[in-house]
Amino acid sequence: MKLTRFLYRQWLKVQEVWRVYTGELRRIFTDPGVAVIFFLATLAYPFIYKAIYWREQIEDIPVAVVDLSRSPESRDFLHKWGAAPDVKLAYNCTSMAEAERLLRDQKVHGIIYFPSDYAAQLANPVGKAHISLYCDMSSFLYMKGLYLSCNQVMLEKMQNVQIDRYEQMGMDKEMAWVLVQDAPYSETALFNPVGGYGSFLIPAVLMLILHQTLLFGICMLGGTAREENRQLFRIEGRPRSYSVVRIIGGRSAAYFTVYYALACILALLLPRLFGLPHVGNPFDIMRFMVPYLLSTIFFSMCVSIFVRNRESGMVLFISSSLIFLFMAGISWPKELMPGSWVMLSHAIPYTWGAHGFIHINTMGASLWTTREEYKVLWILTAVYFAAACLLLFITGYIHEREHERSFHERLNRKITEIKHKIVHENAV
Amino acid sequence: MKYFSKIHNVLKRELRQMFCRPLYLFASIGVMALSTFFFLTLMSKGAAQQMPVAVVDHDQTSISRRLTHELAATQAADVMLITSSFSEAREAMQQGQVYGIIVIPEKFYADLVAMHRPQLDFYVTNAYTVGGNTAYKQLLTMVNLTSGAFQREVLRKKGMPDYVIMNRIQPVSIDAHMIGNPWSNYSIYLTSVILPGILGLIVLMLTIFAIGYELKTQTSREWLDAAGGNYTAAMIGKLIPYTILFVVLGIGCSLILFQFAGFPVKGSLPRLMGAMVLFVMAMESMGIFLIGCLPTLRDAISIGALYGMLGFSLSGFTYPVMNMLPAVQALSYLVPLRHYYLIYVNEALMGAPVQNSLVPAASLCAFMFLAMTTGMRLRGALIHQNYPLK
Repeated sequence: MKLTRFLYRQWLKVQEVWRVYTGELRRIFTDPGVAVIFFLATLAYPFIYKAIYWREQIEDIPVAVVDLSRSPESRDFLHKWGAAPDVKLAYNCTSMAEAERLLRDQKVHGIIYFPSDYAAQLANPVGKAHISLYCDMSSFLYMKGLYLSCNQVMLEKMQNVQIDRYEQMGMDKEMAWVLVQDAPYSETALFNPVGGYGSFLIPAVLMLILHQTLLFGICMLGGTAREENRQLFRIEGRPRSYSVVRIIGGRSAAYFTVYYALACILALLLPRLFGLPHVGNPFDIMRFMVPYLLSTIFFSMCVSIFVRNRESGMVLFISSSLIFLFMAGISWPKELMPGSWVMLSHAIPYTWGAHGFIHINTMGASLWTTREEYKVLWILTAVYFAAACLLLFITGYIHEREHERSFHERLNRKITEIKHKIVHENAV
Repeated sequence: MKYFSKIHNVLKRELRQMFCRPLYLFASIGVMALSTFFFLTLMSKGAAQQMPVAVVDHDQTSISRRLTHELAATQAADVMLITSSFSEAREAMQQGQVYGIIVIPEKFYADLVAMHRPQLDFYVTNAYTVGGNTAYKQLLTMVNLTSGAFQREVLRKKGMPDYVIMNRIQPVSIDAHMIGNPWSNYSIYLTSVILPGILGLIVLMLTIFAIGYELKTQTSREWLDAAGGNYTAAMIGKLIPYTILFVVLGIGCSLILFQFAGFPVKGSLPRLMGAMVLFVMAMESMGIFLIGCLPTLRDAISIGALYGMLGFSLSGFTYPVMNMLPAVQALSYLVPLRHYYLIYVNEALMGAPVQNSLVPAASLCAFMFLAMTTGMRLRGALIHQNYPLK
């Protein structure tokens, strides 16, 4: 008997959560503003970013050549450099002034300059030849493309000159090579073989899209409820402390249902569709998404409690997308950031989610290797869940006290009115 | 009622609203101050240096250990992990602890002594571009420094003077000149465009919000009444306080970047500030255009956010526009930040003559006419309030 009553009471609780859950799902699908953020933005953004970063590598950066040496050596250098995919030798200039004008007009993004003594210095057994490279710094990708490829050609040229000079000294070739480079090296770029910009940025952007659309969507739902004066902190006919956990549980379950499906598309399908690196185990990714989505949902619920209007969350937090992206240490490495920002970034689910996803998806780490991010995300989930419950409880408390106070005020006013009336009538 | 008193009426009404709701001042001044502080402190180190790398020593002899120590001593990179197992180093890389791995092969010592030129292997991660690239450059420097040191010792024993040795070791060199940013400072490169971009985003969102909120709360007729029913006067009166606020923020942002933080400007700072004013007004006009096209606050805000965020990528300061697909290149001209960025490059980095900046400046001015194209539609919406409220 006792057991059945206990079970029945549990069943009632589940029913209450279920009602909150279905109610929230209905709101998600019927509110056009939320649907735009949750579905349209989440699914459209990745395609737009893919279109923008379609070409992975920067190709054919136009360069002006100022060759005052006009020697076979300089022409050989230019021939080798011009063969690099990054570079296009677009203009041949007779003077630096001409080349500078081209750079200023953004017709070229780099200048290479050979002084007139270039060949002579190379021929001189103790000479040193200089090449000047001018890089347009309006985008670091120009600088990176020009500098690295030029450096490559220069190193090769340099070794040949060294070997030639040692041979002139009477050394045999093998010995010369040992002297020039006792231990040669080979380099391998891992995880993003072409070094593409999209392959690097888009995985991080996919996680940011999940994070920010959840934040904006939940803020919009919270703001709407506030505008409509709907009580988010109370299940009808239940005490407040009783309802808070169930409401948070039911609502977050609704968001989780929707976003787990979206995360499957963004984290599993899109990298394959877009030809981005995807060497991770899909099951590991899906397990990793669970704490990432949950912690983001509870984080957003905490933030949404402070939002008063439907739209004000978006107006206020729109710049946070950039701040979260940079704070996570994706483009600017976290090793070079001030410690206090690193500490703060640890409180944002995106930081852990982005790194974890890149480690599993792009670098092929297992969930066990990513255990730190995975663990911290679960901790954040617990912390933000507790915080969301507490904040909701407090807002509920404040709201009800105000409600009560206004009720008492109205009551008192009525009483004094009646008193006045009675006094008045008596006087009459 | 005279035209100016109409504007004055609306202005008074607007100022009251602006100071009654904390959102306006917080979302503009507060967010801008926070972003400025964030970006200026985040990259205060400027250039990337000392990335953590791992050394995998398969040889485990005195010479390989000496090489490891020499690599660590070059201070080009931060040797974080010395191990004899490659999988341990790879795992450290997969956990984001190191950005590069250098592998010393087995029998390295024996091969070196026998002059067989044993090969070193580098592995760098390309999953993080700045980290991976820097680690790659540092590993190259480390190895070239150590092999240079070997050569120098041999040549010294032969009794060569030092300057000859230096030219022997490096007979060709590249003098790299980074135009406008000689220190290849990442902060100068990113912050100078990101901060104006954030300001533009704020301008766009707040302009949409200020007008859209009247539609949402159905106070738009009151607003028009305050202007005696004159749409232009109502618009001018409403936008004056915001325009002043945004322009002050824009000029303040320029002063902080180029005076206080000392970012270099080759050309003229006043012209750059003028571009900033044009940019702010172009974004404002874009906001009016969007709320005019979609006279529902919710839709205009969502589309505004979508468009505003894309502006950062489309402006082409990280990934150059010349490398985008032709259709996307055309789209990039619909973004005011692109034109501001072009003027910024001309003025701050290149010190180009003023006529180079005329076309982008004219484009920014052209954006201001956008606001007028949706005037009739927006006026109708303000009067009839016939769009969904929520």
